Parts: sequence; structure tokens; C-alpha cells
Amino acid sequence: MIEYRNVTKSYGGKQVVKNLNLTIADGEFVVLIGPSGCGKTTTLKMLNRLIEMDSGEILINGKNVAEYNPEKLRRNIGYVIQQIGLFPNMTVEENICVVPKLLKWDKERMHKRVLELLELVGMTYEESGKKYPNEMSGGQQQRIGVLRALAAEPPIILMDEPFGALDPITRDSLQDEVKQLQKRLGITTIFVTHDMNEAIKMADRIVFMSGGEILQADTPEEMLRAPANDTVREFMGKHVAKTRMDDPALHCGDVMKKKVLTAESSKKTLECLELMSAREVDSLVVVDSARKYLGIVTIEALRERGEAGRPITELLDTSAPTVQVDEPAQQAFGKLLASKALNYVIVLDEQQRVVGIITRTSMSKALASVVWGVKK
Amino acid sequence: MPWNRVWEHLFLVLAGSGFTIIFGLALGITAYLCPKISKAILWSVDVLQTIPSLATLGILMVLFGGGKTTVIVGMVLYSLLPIVRNTHTALNGVSPAVKEAAIGMGMSRLYRLVFVEFPVAFPIIFTGIRISAVTSISVAVFGTFVGGGGLGDTLYRGIYIQNMKLILFGTAALMVMAILMDSLLNVVEKRLFKHSMK
Ligand SMILES: Nc1ncnc2c1ncn2[C@@H]1O[C@H](COP(=O)(O)OP(=O)(O)OP(=O)(O)O)[C@@H](O)[C@H]1O
Ligand SMILES: [Mg+2]
Repeated sequence: MIEYRNVTKSYGGKQVVKNLNLTIADGEFVVLIGPSGCGKTTTLKMLNRLIEMDSGEILINGKNVAEYNPEKLRRNIGYVIQQIGLFPNMTVEENICVVPKLLKWDKERMHKRVLELLELVGMTYEESGKKYPNEMSGGQQQRIGVLRALAAEPPIILMDEPFGALDPITRDSLQDEVKQLQKRLGITTIFVTHDMNEAIKMADRIVFMSGGEILQADTPEEMLRAPANDTVREFMGKHVAKTRMDDPALHCGDVMKKKVLTAESSKKTLECLELMSAREVDSLVVVDSARKYLGIVTIEALRERGEAGRPITELLDTSAPTVQVDEPAQQAFGKLLASKALNYVIVLDEQQRVVGIITRTSMSKALASVVWGVKK
Repeated sequence: MPWNRVWEHLFLVLAGSGFTIIFGLALGITAYLCPKISKAILWSVDVLQTIPSLATLGILMVLFGGGKTTVIVGMVLYSLLPIVRNTHTALNGVSPAVKEAAIGMGMSRLYRLVFVEFPVAFPIIFTGIRISAVTSISVAVFGTFVGGGGLGDTLYRGIYIQNMKLILFGTAALMVMAILMDSLLNVVEKRLFKHSMK
């Protein structure tokens, strides 16, 4: 847990962070947002002591950051900046290993970690490990920047407009990757941006700052529904077009069909065929006993490779498109339109449990509700 | 032909450059680490260079007497500037993002200097070393006036006895030495910095 308590910082008599109080739970993804110069970066950097506060305290798991040796503190807090700042004299592998090396990990462990991390973002060691930063695109560099911050498995990671300088497509995929990694690894994250769309996409909680103060700290949903005052509303309004199909306020959970035909992974070929013909469908969503999503099984797979008594886990197709229940519905529509094989997208909750599906019908209904103002 | 003078000259250049590099880097890094005294350091080194090398040697001879030591000290004082200035400029020029990342990763001051700032700045520092080494070849010629030997002796004698061959030999040897030194360092530079240049 991270606690800011009455934190204040001034430059030349001007308070840029005013008596700030903020508590962040373990594993939470907090996005700091607000107009330029409102003190986001200052707030962030006081945590890893790149900036020393004037008064107040910041506690990590109850211990004041001022009591740590700043260098040791920073080795346990991942740090990603907009300008990336990879070390140009080091290869990708060496860049990633900077903090592990400071922590004196042995060679083998470091190398294993590099392989593991590169794989997380779909890069291979053979292709990228020995490259130098200047041989890579901006997007790839920032991927490495993120991996470098994650390398020593820090419990906390700070990101200051990490994707601000990237093109929209690269930014979008990096946002997805980071969000997924963060969820999977359960890292407490403080993320600075001034892009409201990014905030809504990434945040568990958005902290809106202005003039060194927190105006509102709420979930994205709540922030959109009830902006605390006009400053927040105006800022949101600029970024969020409320009456459009790609309205990020419209979440997958709002448009999905909740009745899903699922099959438990213990089921065998024939049981599934039976189920499919009874309900006239050509695929089933396979879940484990906790309703966690495992994959789908299609009628083709059953026909081609199924035999009596064969468990369906051997016939799973795991490439079906999935979305999270709190993601913007726009995501699901995009995936649906892009997917040729399957005519629905599977909606998962935070524990990866299947909670619904979005079909083309649900998409057109949602579209109608936006265009005609019909209540869903 | 006086080949031993060539070797002697080479020795002066190598010894002089070696000390210049050591002191030059030390001063350049100090100037970078302590901005308060950086002006003073750069100014002093600048002033040293404006004194004619013959005058410098003259003063040093009064202090140290004649001989090779005097020449080497003179060469060091005279060729410090490019190294000190390039070191200071290059370290200051390391991108702020790289510096911030290094601090943010939890590196200590010394660690940052040794493993990040210095390596990143090294191509420019190396250029300073190259300039300084090549300059020192001609500075060493003045060594003859304080009894330091080297190709200065050959040239001076050639002029004194009006022997054209001797003069040409000395001049050619100096030129070849400078060209070789420059291209050798050029190759080293290319080898070392394939990647660090952005
Ligand atoms: N070293 C400094 N000296 C003086 N003033 C500073 C310094 N650093 C920041 N400030 C001022 O403090 C205020 C807050 O700065 P900060 O960098 O935290 O803003 P920010 O919210 O991150 O802005 P941006 O969105 O532009 O990055 C600004 O008005 C800035 O000008
Ligand atoms: Mg900022």
C-alpha cells in the first residue's frame, strides 16, 4: 500500500503540490491526469525520491520513503519515462538487466529473466537481445523501457506519460500489453497521462489533479458519470465524445449477452456434440470448474479430431477473441469485425471468468441505442 | 639518417599523451562533477594553451632543469585543452532522459559515471584525445630547446648546418607520424563506437 499524507512541494514560493493525500492499494492501477503543470510528475517523482518533498510523508507498506536509502528504494520501484532513456551504450539484454545487476543477481538468473520478459511482449532473444537501442523503432524501444522497469520484479512501477511520444497504433498495442502485464503480475502502478482516453482504458482509478490538488479520484466509470466539478467535466468532455459508437463509456459489460453456452472442461466429445445439436450452435465456450475461460471447441474440431471418450481439452481452440468486461465496447466491436472464424467475442471478468458474449446482434442493438436513444 | 631521433620522438609523444589523457580526463570529469569549479578549470586550461609553447618550456626549464621530463610536462600542459573540454562538454551533453533513467534505476553517482555517462560520452572524449595526441607530435619538436631530443634535434641541426636532406627527413618523419597516429586512432574509434553513436 502507498500512502501520500499531507504532501507539499513548492518551487520558489509557489506550491506545485498542495497538501496532497492519496492512498493506493496493492495491485491498483492509478492514473494521474490533469492539465499541464498541475503537478503530476512532481507527485510521481516524490515517491521514488527523484524529487524531495517539503513537508508531509509518503509511506510504502507503512514505511516512510525518507527512511530508505534512495538508491535502494529506486531499485524496488520500476520507472518508465516518456523520453524512454534507454542506455545507448548497452544492448537490449544489458538494458533490461540494469537493475538485476545492481541487485547482484547471478548471470543465469538474469539471462532467464531476459528471455521471459522478451517473450511477454512477443519479442525473441535471437532477434532483439543483442540489438542496440538505436537499431530499434520508438515503439520497440519503449517496450524495452517497460521491460527494464519490470526486470527485477518490483512491487511498484511508475510511468510518466510513457506512450506520449508514440504513434497511435503503437500506443494502443503498448497500452494493451502494459495493462495485461500489470494485471497478471499484480503490480501497483501509478501512471501519468494527459490523455483521457488512455486514462479510461488503463485505470482502476483516475486521480484528477489541478493546480497541485486532487479534484476527484474515482473509477473511470464514476468519473464519466459524475464529474466532481466543471474543471473535470470540461477536461473529460474534450476527450470523451458521449454520443458516439466508440464512446469509451459504453463497456463490454453493457452490451453483452449474459446467456452463454459453456461446457466444463471435463466434458467429452460426444456430450458436446449432443449439446451443440440440441441448441443449434456450432461452437461452445469451454471453462474450468471455476468458470475460468479456457478456449472454445468448434463443431469442425469435434468432427475432425473428436472420438468417443476423448476429453474436449485436447480439442481446444485458444485463439478466439476475448475482451474484459470493463473494456470499452468499441474494443469488442473491433475484434468482432476483424475475426473471420468466429461470430462472437467472449467477455471475461477480472478473474478471467466467462460472463458473457458479444455477437453481431448485440453490436447492432448497441448501435441502435446510441443512434435512436433507445434504452438498452 | 638519425632513426634513433624518430624513436625518441615517438617515446616523447607516447609518454606525453599518456599523461595528458590521465590528467585531461581527471580534470574534465572533475569539472563535470563539480560545476562550481568547472569555470576555473576550463579557464586555466584555456590560458595554458595561449602561452606559446616555447615560453612554457622556458619557464618549466627554470623549474625542472633541462631534459625529457621538462618536455613531457610541457606537452601535457599544452595539449590538455581538447581532452578537458571535450570530456566536460560530452558528459554534460549526455541526454537528460538517459541520466534520469540512470538515477531512477537506482544507480549510485560513481556507477552512473562509469557505466553510463562516460561510455555514452566517450566518442566525443575520444575525438579530444585524438586531437591532443596529434598536436603533441608537433609540440614535442620544441623539446630540442630544453635538451629533450627527438626530431626537433634533427630539424634544428639540419637548419644549422644547412643540410636539406636532414630537414626533409625530419619533416617527413613528423608528417608520417601524425598521419599514422591519426588513422590508427580513427580505426580504433570506428571499432569502439559502432553502436553508441545515435
Ligand atoms: N525544478 C523546478 N523548478 C521550478 N519549477 C518547477 C520545477 N519542476 C516543476 N516545476 C513547476 O511545478 C509545476 C508542476 O510541474 P510538474 O512537472 O509536476 O507538472 P505536470 O503535471 O507533470 O505537467 P506536464 O503535464 O506538463 O508534464 C509546474 O508549474 C512546473 O513549472
Ligand atoms: Mg509531467
